[in-house]
Amino acid sequence: MHLRTRHVLNRAFTGLGYVATSIMAGALLVLLVPIFVRGAGAIVFRGTVEFRRYLFEQEGRGDREAVHNEIAHARAARAPVYAMLAEAEKEIATAPLTRQRELRSALAELRDAIRELLGPDPGQRTPVLLRQQYGQTRWDRALVKLHEVLYTETWDYSDPSGMGRKVYVPRAEAFTGLGVTALFPYVETHLSAMLRPRLTLYWGFLTDDSRDAHFFGGIMPELLGTFYLTVGAMLIAIPLGVLTAIYLAEYAGDNMAVRFLRSCMSTLAGVPSIVFGLFGLAFFINTLHVSHSKSVLAGSLTLALLVLPTVIRASEEAIRAVPHTYREAALSLGASTWRTVCTVVLPAALPGILTGIVISMGRAAGETAPIIFTAAVSVGVPLKLWEVFNHPTPALSWNIYNVSTEHEAVDEIRHVQFGMVCVLVGLVLLLNLTAIMLRARIARKLKG
Amino acid sequence: MDEAGAQGIADKGAREVTTRGCCPPSGLLLSAGARRRQRFFHFLGQGFLFGVASVSAIAVFFIFIFIVRDALPFCTWARLRDFFTSTRWYPSGSPPEFGALAIMYGSMMVTVGAVVVAVPLGIAAAVCLSDVLPFSLRQVVKPVIEILAAIPSVAYGFFALVVFAPLLQDHGGRVLAILVWLFGVPVGALAVLVASDMLSRRLTSGGERRGQGLIAAALATVVVIALVWLSRRAATIQIDSGTNALNVSLILGIMALPTIVSVSEDALQAAGSELREGSYALGATRAETILNVVIPAASGGISAAIILGFMRAIGETMVVWMASGNAAQLPRPLYNYLMPVRTLTATIAGDMGEADHVTGSERYHVLFVMALVLLLISFACNSFSEWIIWRRRKRLGV
Amino acid sequence: MKYGVVGGIVALSVGVIHLFASQQTTIVLDGSTTVGPLAKAFAEHFMQQHPGVKITVSESGSGNGAKSLINGTCHIATMSRAMKPEEVAAAAEKGVKAVAHVVAIDALPVLVHPSNPLTNLTLAQVKDIYLGKITNWKELGGPDVRIVKISRDTNSGTYECFEELVMKKEKMADDVEYVGSNGAVRQRVMTTPAAIGYAGLAFVDKKVKAISINGVAPCAETARNKTYPIARPLYMYTNGEPPQGSLLEQFVNFYKTAKGREITEAIGFVPVN
Repeated sequence: MHLRTRHVLNRAFTGLGYVATSIMAGALLVLLVPIFVRGAGAIVFRGTVEFRRYLFEQEGRGDREAVHNEIAHARAARAPVYAMLAEAEKEIATAPLTRQRELRSALAELRDAIRELLGPDPGQRTPVLLRQQYGQTRWDRALVKLHEVLYTETWDYSDPSGMGRKVYVPRAEAFTGLGVTALFPYVETHLSAMLRPRLTLYWGFLTDDSRDAHFFGGIMPELLGTFYLTVGAMLIAIPLGVLTAIYLAEYAGDNMAVRFLRSCMSTLAGVPSIVFGLFGLAFFINTLHVSHSKSVLAGSLTLALLVLPTVIRASEEAIRAVPHTYREAALSLGASTWRTVCTVVLPAALPGILTGIVISMGRAAGETAPIIFTAAVSVGVPLKLWEVFNHPTPALSWNIYNVSTEHEAVDEIRHVQFGMVCVLVGLVLLLNLTAIMLRARIARKLKG
Repeated sequence: MDEAGAQGIADKGAREVTTRGCCPPSGLLLSAGARRRQRFFHFLGQGFLFGVASVSAIAVFFIFIFIVRDALPFCTWARLRDFFTSTRWYPSGSPPEFGALAIMYGSMMVTVGAVVVAVPLGIAAAVCLSDVLPFSLRQVVKPVIEILAAIPSVAYGFFALVVFAPLLQDHGGRVLAILVWLFGVPVGALAVLVASDMLSRRLTSGGERRGQGLIAAALATVVVIALVWLSRRAATIQIDSGTNALNVSLILGIMALPTIVSVSEDALQAAGSELREGSYALGATRAETILNVVIPAASGGISAAIILGFMRAIGETMVVWMASGNAAQLPRPLYNYLMPVRTLTATIAGDMGEADHVTGSERYHVLFVMALVLLLISFACNSFSEWIIWRRRKRLGV
Repeated sequence: MKYGVVGGIVALSVGVIHLFASQQTTIVLDGSTTVGPLAKAFAEHFMQQHPGVKITVSESGSGNGAKSLINGTCHIATMSRAMKPEEVAAAAEKGVKAVAHVVAIDALPVLVHPSNPLTNLTLAQVKDIYLGKITNWKELGGPDVRIVKISRDTNSGTYECFEELVMKKEKMADDVEYVGSNGAVRQRVMTTPAAIGYAGLAFVDKKVKAISINGVAPCAETARNKTYPIARPLYMYTNGEPPQGSLLEQFVNFYKTAKGREITEAIGFVPVN
């Protein structure tokens, strides 16, 4: 090959490496940016007066005076709307009979649309479902609903060879000649007076229970469930894992049994997570009966098995990384192996072990498949500590699946889904950052 | 009791000043009784530790036993034949049919897709990490890999379902076109360089500069035209459903990436600097050194990395359950990645809810057969990668 | 050491918990995703009325609900189909007497994308679509587009209901796409112009078009008077009649109360009389 070509090729090769690395980093960005940006929307958003009314009435939060004041202002701004609707009713009664039916149904649809936007009409009996008791609590959703008030969505099927096309028809067209047409420009221009959007910081998303199937409220039960499951799994996996690592690093020789153990561990690490789930169901619940049915305990046990190989590997590496001189010094002072391990090796290896533990914690918190059959339910209240042994729990990972596929109104609660994903990913990233920082400290210590 | 044993060793060790390694020392200071006691506790402690260590071995055994136990009732010759050869999956029909061929094909399809995405990217990134990037940049890239590995699978699944699937469905053609460019440009550039060099040598004896430049330019034009044509073609493709094999393959590829990168980077590092220096001394460029010397030397580790990535992809549940479309069908044509597929893991996760083992239904047991298939695949992969490492070690004589 | 303490705590707590668990302050529901929204809303209101009561709802499929009831791992199995004879038999074997409570009626609307000009199909046409005999909307007078068939997962009560009422036990073509929940069916149909699917009445809104079957539009009225052909009752199964006045009894009969009926209607099901 030409020398020059070789050089160009060399450059190109380097470039290829850079391209691959940047694709990887790009993938991470593409993944994280929407999750964090839209996830933050669950906590920071433009909340309407309906949101503050909800908080005050259902959670007892907020200043009574201020909330009432605001509601009164909003009511005043909304009054013309309802007046116009009432007027329309009368007008329709006097309209030609041929048009009356059509007008009535158009008006009923309009009323429905307005109810979705602003909440129940004044004087209407309180609806039973929470989601119908309040108007739009979020300004971004309110704008979507405003569009539904202003326009009807119809489909144009005039082209028989293709699918229909979506056409937005201004709702006002259905009411031509009636006074109620004035309602549409009024709603459009006065929407912010009627809903009074304000930048809201809703930490309750993290600390409140879900209300009305996640239409309102927060994700406390899920968060708590994830916490219990993770901590439970680590409580079981840490002693087992660290003791195993001590055995492998300090006691075990290189014989058949140990080699067999090691190969079992790597097999365990390779078992698909869903198989862990099946095993947890068949073994812990159906055979050992650790609990009556799904429970945090059964889930934790399953997760513990799942993260065990990771804990072992990380701990063993950390223990092996402790310089031999440490051990020799301790042994020469007359300490037994066990004592050496406990007082010298383990403290020295602790940061490394912690790193492994923290990473496994992230893994346990994020796993879904093993807890489907062993611990997770879609609705539940936060558990008390002593209830973890026989109660199932909602958990972040499972409920992300649940609310984004099985929920009856998946696109009404997108912000909750993104919020949950954001919290889970944030949690795991936080754990990993801790691990990275721990490792950096170890590196510095070893250097210095 | 076991704890007491371990504790006993520690106490004893403190009281009776002796050193003890793996083999008991000849305790000159101790009486015969004390020595016996000491040895007893030592063994007890070691036994206890061995017991703890074997928990994972026991777990593996139990997993196998329990999966096999629940899979066995399904295993008659006729049913197994159907399971592996038929594509008709009607678990609730009467009579039910359990042909899992399409499902296994789906699993294979998305896994192969993931490997195709992840392997070139992963190895290139690993090479870049081990040989190209300066230390400071490496410190930035490594956490990126760790974070990619740490993100929970359900978050990937959510992304695939809520962000990526609608994107594919609404702008599928454009996404495909971008993918064509993303892969076509680097590959095309390399191909042009190599081909122009070879051609110029064949056409012009001696190799004039201008000759090669001209050829390169001509080839580059051809490649660009081909890419434009391809991307135009791709842009016209209408994707019926965004939840399909392509979507899942891409996401699984990203998920398998960290495993492949970190394991193959370790292998590349382990190849050692002597090899590299030797190659440089012979006048090879970095690219040549890596391609001809380092990668062959690290091939064992790299194949282990690929296998581990494969295992990660085939065992993944949430992403495929949420975003693969779950249609138990063979895609038509067979390589059509734009059709929805269904995988073993998703079938287990989805069908377990209905399969009732109380009535001892076949439906329950067939899921365990699927789990067994998965387990055997991962076991085989694992053994294979261990064998590769073992063979290497033997060859190196360590 | 650490081990012993943890073990001790575990043992002690398990004992204490089993004592507590015998008191019925917890109601565990397991089963259908179709009944899910109803069960969740009932649970929430019931918990508001009776503070201190804990209700958990799993949506893991009708069969799983039955399984849990038979195994005694839930108090109420929510099901979108009746228990099969084998399940009843298995229950009897374990000493569980499954008692059915029909809590609501649900219609199974056939859904298409709103851009689809069709408004009515016959039951036979729907069947032919899912059998693969009709593959293009053109054959039904629609545009020339290949039909994308969406079905609930074969593991669901909804599927079994559809299989019985529409398919008459014949098997669906193998290019039918299966999705795991009613919400997912709606989502697939909503985003796929060429799609056809079916889901519970509660999952129908403006984003999808519920077409008439044999000229009858699916709604509460037609489901109740049985003119809409694809309707089914939704069940809650308990182990024996729950004791009078117990919380379980109150919960199971919640659907009869005015509040319960209102919730049922608000969610989109048809209350039973």
